[in-house]
Amino acid sequence: MLAELINPYYLQVGCFILINIILGISVYITLSTGQLSLANAGFMGIGAYTSALLTIHFELPIIIGIIIGALVAALCGVLIGIPTLRLQGVYLAIVTLGFGEVIRVIFVNWESVTNGSVGISGIPHIGREILKTLQGFGFQPISIGLQNNQFIFLSIFILLLLITIFVIWFFRRQHQSRVGRAFAAIKLDEKAAESMGINITYYKVLAFAQGALVAGFAGAMYAHILAYISPADFAYHRAVEILIFVVFGGSEVIWGPIFGAFFLTLMPEVLRFISEYRYMIYGLIIIIMMAVRPQGLIDVPLLKALSKKGRKRGQKHGTGNHKSM
Amino acid sequence: MRGLMKKLVGLTALSSVLFLTACGGGGNEESSGAEGGKVSADVGVVSFLTGSGAAYGEAIQGGLKLAQEEINAKGDVKINLIFEDSAGKQDQALTAAQKLINSDNVTAIIGPTLSTEMNVVGPEADLSGVPIIGTSTTAEGIPQIGDYVFRNSIPEALAIPASMQQAIDKYDVKKVAILYGNDDVFTKSGYDTMKKTAEEMGLEVLTTETFQKGQSDYNAQLTKIKNLNPDLILASALYNEGAVIMDQARKMGIDVPFVGGNGFNSPEVINIAGESSNGLIVATPWYSEKEDEKVQEFVTKFEEEHGHVPDQFAAQAYDALYILADALKNAGSSDRDAVRDALAKTKDFEGILGNFSFDEEGDVLMDPTVLVIEGEKFVEFK
Repeated sequence: MLAELINPYYLQVGCFILINIILGISVYITLSTGQLSLANAGFMGIGAYTSALLTIHFELPIIIGIIIGALVAALCGVLIGIPTLRLQGVYLAIVTLGFGEVIRVIFVNWESVTNGSVGISGIPHIGREILKTLQGFGFQPISIGLQNNQFIFLSIFILLLLITIFVIWFFRRQHQSRVGRAFAAIKLDEKAAESMGINITYYKVLAFAQGALVAGFAGAMYAHILAYISPADFAYHRAVEILIFVVFGGSEVIWGPIFGAFFLTLMPEVLRFISEYRYMIYGLIIIIMMAVRPQGLIDVPLLKALSKKGRKRGQKHGTGNHKSM
Repeated sequence: MRGLMKKLVGLTALSSVLFLTACGGGGNEESSGAEGGKVSADVGVVSFLTGSGAAYGEAIQGGLKLAQEEINAKGDVKINLIFEDSAGKQDQALTAAQKLINSDNVTAIIGPTLSTEMNVVGPEADLSGVPIIGTSTTAEGIPQIGDYVFRNSIPEALAIPASMQQAIDKYDVKKVAILYGNDDVFTKSGYDTMKKTAEEMGLEVLTTETFQKGQSDYNAQLTKIKNLNPDLILASALYNEGAVIMDQARKMGIDVPFVGGNGFNSPEVINIAGESSNGLIVATPWYSEKEDEKVQEFVTKFEEEHGHVPDQFAAQAYDALYILADALKNAGSSDRDAVRDALAKTKDFEGILGNFSFDEEGDVLMDPTVLVIEGEKFVEFK
């Protein structure tokens, strides 16, 4: 029964959805201080290349590679965050877009390390490594009724799911903390926030570094799931794609980018049956959405409306609910 | 707020469970098998059908469909093709292949279109034990991915040395200049081969110049090359950039021949560069004016349906399906392992590309035809 339910194809799509959710969140974080960053594809690339090269050349365990990859990306986030502090809006967008392109050009031209535009193949695959490790302990997937490749993708999926839930949990907590309130204040009015004693430099750079860390992490995971990366994966169209997740879903609340990434990653797969037309439909959906809801699908009023409805329903069914009145 | 979040999480969890359940439903029946000596099989195709390279995917689809009609009409083997789009992206190609392997239970896969996609899909197909044939993947190291990975597209490592050798013999070349696009997988790997071959042949490389995708002005590079006065220019470029390069070079007065890679080999070069394209030498597995009954039949049929002469991508796809059909017939069943073994034994297959065999790694063993543009037409280079 279990074995029939687990189809690597769906797990694969699920993995890409989860990675895109993490990427969407990375843009959401910087955006929550009012900074529009298009450098996240570049950070993703830094994470991916760092982890891939470390695991290939130094035979480090994947997990260490991923952590270092994410940290290096965060470091770059700080480096780019400081000089761009004064920039806002489109100017910041252009600078960060430029940074992303610089990263890509470095990957293309630093041939001795990155293998140029041919890309790096043979990156250790995270699922296969998990399986190998477990087999070392005498575990066989067949003992729980699974084929090897089913087990491989199930393990990646569960791992990613846990990580994604952790990331969402963390940033929801942060949103309600001092840091989150500082972010929101900066987003609303930088000058006012500063006069209230918020250290703008610190919080803006922090947001940038967090965004870069998360994007770098997603990039490293991406590298170890595809087992092959090339500079073209991290070009500006990737940056725009990630931005679309956030704009489509809504950038006010964390559920916006999550929904955007989920929906927009799933859509091309669901539409496979109409083959050549699927990207037309995809584009059409985005146009209609933007025309109808320019603020993104999920925003604060929608969440409030949903929660009110939910509460009402709760009261109807609830028995001893009068205390809350 | 908290209650809402709980609900949302619950909803997400529920929907993902439903999603997984819905997914598990389909595609587990064994739809292919042998019926009374006749082998029928589902063959998956991962192809670049939407996006910037859709022209490649279209040509491949055209070639495959034509071959499928003919093979099914003959009746030894019945092939059912399932097309999936990759949009030229690795992750899309991988999910498409996963769908074919796991949901559609295909016997074999043809495609994907790009070498970058094959680098991702190949290991997965190999691990799942599904034979996969690339029809347009020319980069180095593709069949070496695994036992189940094959290709029938002539690799750069075979095509470029062949054209260089012939050009060198004819024009008595000593000094060459190299020009290549360094931000594209295709042209970069072509350049690597050119450089290696030039070293092996003992040629003097005067200069190595690079350009980027979409560049429109090559005067800086070409001026430098002109001053060095090479006997031959090796240009690893795709046809759209390559044609402009040739045009600007001829206008500048560079009249030495060019040797191009696989991506340079397109009738479009003549359309774009006109008479400046004269003197471009390329090696190709496919020559549409070859005096061969099979070739001419294919060209006529393809032209009837699509309104233009088939290019190498259509021809390679056409031959690939015939090779696969041949393997299916020899294997006598649609079992993936049996088909792989039969494929590996393919030898001296007579297709429209010529005499074809796989080597022990699943790579191509055949002689390419060297063509040159003369009088704004591709003719055989002699």
